Amino acid sequence: MSTATAPATTAPTAPRPAASTYHLSFARVVRSEWIKLLSLRSTWWSLGITVVLSVGISLMMAAALRDFDAGFAPVMVIVMPMQFTMLVAGILGAIAITGEYSTGMIRSTLTAEPRRGAVLLAKALVVMVVLALATAITYAIAVVATAPILTTGIDWGEPTQSILPLLAGVFAMATFALIGLGFGFIIRNGAGAIAATVGVLFVLPIVLSMFSFAGESWQWIVDLTKYLPVSAAQVATAAGGDDVVRGLVTLAVWPAALLLGAWVSLRSRDA
Amino acid sequence: MIVAENLTKRYGSTTAVDGVSFTVRPGQVTGFLGPNGAGKSTTMRMIVGLDAPSAGHVSVSGHRYNESRSPLTEVGVLLDAKAVHTGRSARGHLRAMAATHGIPNSRVDEVIALTGLEAVANKRAGKFSLGMGQRLGIAAALLGDPQTLILDEPVNGLDPEGVRWVREFVRHLAQEGRTVLLSSHLMSEMSQTADHVIVLGRGRVLADAPLAELVGAWTRNEVLVRTPRAADLASALAAPDVTVTDAGNGALSVSGISASAIGDLAAERGIPLHELTPRTGSLEEAYMALTEGAVQYKSKEIA
Repeated sequence: MSTATAPATTAPTAPRPAASTYHLSFARVVRSEWIKLLSLRSTWWSLGITVVLSVGISLMMAAALRDFDAGFAPVMVIVMPMQFTMLVAGILGAIAITGEYSTGMIRSTLTAEPRRGAVLLAKALVVMVVLALATAITYAIAVVATAPILTTGIDWGEPTQSILPLLAGVFAMATFALIGLGFGFIIRNGAGAIAATVGVLFVLPIVLSMFSFAGESWQWIVDLTKYLPVSAAQVATAAGGDDVVRGLVTLAVWPAALLLGAWVSLRSRDA
Repeated sequence: MIVAENLTKRYGSTTAVDGVSFTVRPGQVTGFLGPNGAGKSTTMRMIVGLDAPSAGHVSVSGHRYNESRSPLTEVGVLLDAKAVHTGRSARGHLRAMAATHGIPNSRVDEVIALTGLEAVANKRAGKFSLGMGQRLGIAAALLGDPQTLILDEPVNGLDPEGVRWVREFVRHLAQEGRTVLLSSHLMSEMSQTADHVIVLGRGRVLADAPLAELVGAWTRNEVLVRTPRAADLASALAAPDVTVTDAGNGALSVSGISASAIGDLAAERGIPLHELTPRTGSLEEAYMALTEGAVQYKSKEIA
């Protein structure tokens, strides 16, 4: 700390002429959010868990598929671990912002970029891209790893049996993270945001499906299930499915609505 | 230059800041004083757009903070040391902040060196001591080499060397023509650092004046006199504008007359003096007198 004792020599002697080139731009805010997300250990932990969990389950399913023919397309072996990794994606999205509220970082963020909409958009973009890249890499590893095990390989000549379900899976994972991010912005508290995210992704489908035992008059509740993110993701990633577009649209509506709510909340509330 | 006009902040039924108006001018250090809960931090948060005012407005460099396209080069802010993600290293935090404005990493290294953080720059901020966190907050405030600095309790938790560094540094910045607004609870520190003082109490401006003027107006200059013939001296000093009070132990506290005049008078009457000490008022005394009725969380006097 010897430098701190001699302010006269270390202090800037004159306003820096280069200072005029330092100003905000959306690309720079995105870059800042990119640095922020990737400079946290929790991000790498979450992504690591996602990759290991996803590839591991894919390998198990590929092995199981050798013993009995479940009657589904081999590409589903790659996509289906989403049922588990979606929670990690959602939690990663939630803590990307609740971590800022719990530590006070949000005040630094909003003084550096006071236009709150830009902060929200940049964060959403970065979370989306990071999850999409991580999922794409996961799928690539899973495809290579399961190839020797699968008796019938993925039919790469037929997009609906190969690349389209994989792209839908990438999209779905990014969506789950954005749902977490949306809840995080609105609720601000880490535990609360994670509870809401897990609730929508995991608990709500179970609760709603319980009403299938309740008889005809409760059927409408069961019908609601298909508008939940997870059901929509299953529909969207189904190889050769009929309702792929409906699934994708439903998937997109969830983060869009939540992030809109997040924007209203962020703009109107004190940080 | 920071201009606040009729700035007001209400939280439900409580009014934290109540129609506050002031101007913080460049080229001097302006101290922000007030008891806990007086509204200092809330006012600072409104200046940088974190809290929206319920009424009134505040501008920095002629416009609202939120309208700035280059806030980090216009205003450096330290609101509290805990505005840093605990899981990120000091360097990571500063790089992320710098990236928003395209400020190069070389400047990040500069402010790390300037604040004496080299040894811990790669440590996670969550493991920092209060003083280190404070240095990191100051480093972040300096990133854009801003024209205006707003520092809330900058010396809180700093070691004596750090306290002195902050004092000399902000004085240096003010001399360069920059605007500096800082709050502190340390009166002695403030009296050495600030040129101008704004005192808040219960959300209102109690005083807004140059330091010397404030101290002069709210304290009395006294002379402590010790003499074996206290009664004789007291009667000799008697005059309409002179007050003499017994300070105990054979000492008198005299105001309204200068030390030299007392000495001359005593010599004239042959009264021996054992002590003659002029005492000027301190900022602390002025502050105590000013905020007497405005202290929200008052401690009990020790009997």
